Amino acid sequence: MKSIKLLTALIVALFTYNASAADVANGKKVADISCVACHKAGVMGAPKIGDKADWQKRMEKGLVGVEKNALNGLNSMPAKGGNPTLSDNDIKDAIAYFLDSAGVRAAANASKAKAKPKAKPAPTPVVKAVVKTVKKPKKSKVMNFNRLMKPPSEWNPPPFEDGIHDPDGEGAYMLQPPRELFTNLEKSSSGNRVDWVKTLNNGLIAPRWDKADDTKQPFVMDLNIVREVKGSMPNVVYPHKQHTQWLDCSNCHPDIFIPKKGANQISMAAILMGEKCGVCHGKVAFPVSDCRKCHSQNKKKPLVASRK
Amino acid sequence: MKIKSSLKLKFSALALFVGLFFSFNLFTASPAHAEYGDVVINNFSEEAGMRPVVFPHWFHRARFRCKVCHADLGFKFEAGGNEIDMLKIIDGEYCGACHNGEIAWAVENCNLCHSGTPDTPTQVHGSTVQQLVSNDKKPEQK
Repeated sequence: MKSIKLLTALIVALFTYNASAADVANGKKVADISCVACHKAGVMGAPKIGDKADWQKRMEKGLVGVEKNALNGLNSMPAKGGNPTLSDNDIKDAIAYFLDSAGVRAAANASKAKAKPKAKPAPTPVVKAVVKTVKKPKKSKVMNFNRLMKPPSEWNPPPFEDGIHDPDGEGAYMLQPPRELFTNLEKSSSGNRVDWVKTLNNGLIAPRWDKADDTKQPFVMDLNIVREVKGSMPNVVYPHKQHTQWLDCSNCHPDIFIPKKGANQISMAAILMGEKCGVCHGKVAFPVSDCRKCHSQNKKKPLVASRK
Repeated sequence: MKIKSSLKLKFSALALFVGLFFSFNLFTASPAHAEYGDVVINNFSEEAGMRPVVFPHWFHRARFRCKVCHADLGFKFEAGGNEIDMLKIIDGEYCGACHNGEIAWAVENCNLCHSGTPDTPTQVHGSTVQQLVSNDKKPEQK
């Protein structure tokens, strides 16, 4: 009996240990992705990671105040650090990590007690964060088993987090983050996560047809070419319309496609290797994983010899 | 006593599992990925002591049709295939057709184009070809 009690205590201890680790550890994870861009170097007056004086100054308002500013934004600090996909608890965890790494933890509680009369007598935020982080891993890591699938929170990262822009260069911070443009555009499940054709047709963007003259309009040719496919996939319908909205005839003809029916051998192998349709599709235009966007015409059912 | 011990075993297994589950989930961070269609051009940049160029297709296609660059300005459909250098740009060719201070900002903003992570090879980031054949699949994991 005694051993069971001991075990229960152990499990409880394990839980609380993991939970308190989750607090700061998750905070570090969040911070490494979404906060370091500014808080590592102290960009535009941001309190630096590990700088005790910086964080001590912020904590004069109390933890609640710091959390509020991080959640709602203040001066150069955008709300949630400019990453609206983060949950409130992610932000609170990140703050816990910043305070922990700056060694302001103990002082935080002291100054919070001082600030409390002003703030609401809410339950201590530290405890709240702990309780919620215990549940979180189950929720946010649903698709983690598939390394090719990314949760929406990881789509369209800003330049300084995307892995090919150098976070140590100033360009990465001056360039427009994709999400800023994409939020108002038509959504798609692949590529940039933007349906560019729909976006254009709905007038959400007005890309120029001439580099300087914004009155010039394309000559759109509305002609569908159906290509019968040998395998089990539906036939391919190639729409000139959507292509001539963006491109000039000379972009494809005659170098990539000979403008004559039956003159072009096209295979998925060639496309995957960046030839034929693959010159654009799989690089810039929607990727080849969107099979049914091209293979869109159902074949007539094969004629089955019937007795009657 | 037998029942108790099996119970104890179950408990400890459960505790171990729960503990592992949480700690595992905490430290599995997935790498970041750049925008589909972003082109890195590193023909001459790093040799000349500059960061590689990152060309964001998404940014440009929201403002210009493909035709403007790929037909009017003569950009080939090939990453790094145009052999662009600063001389050509200053002469008004390729990027310099717009990046001249009139249509878009001019060439003195070096770091806006030369913003790539060092050692990133020329590529169309996230392209099918890159995923299938390139051995430089993950430039962000050096």
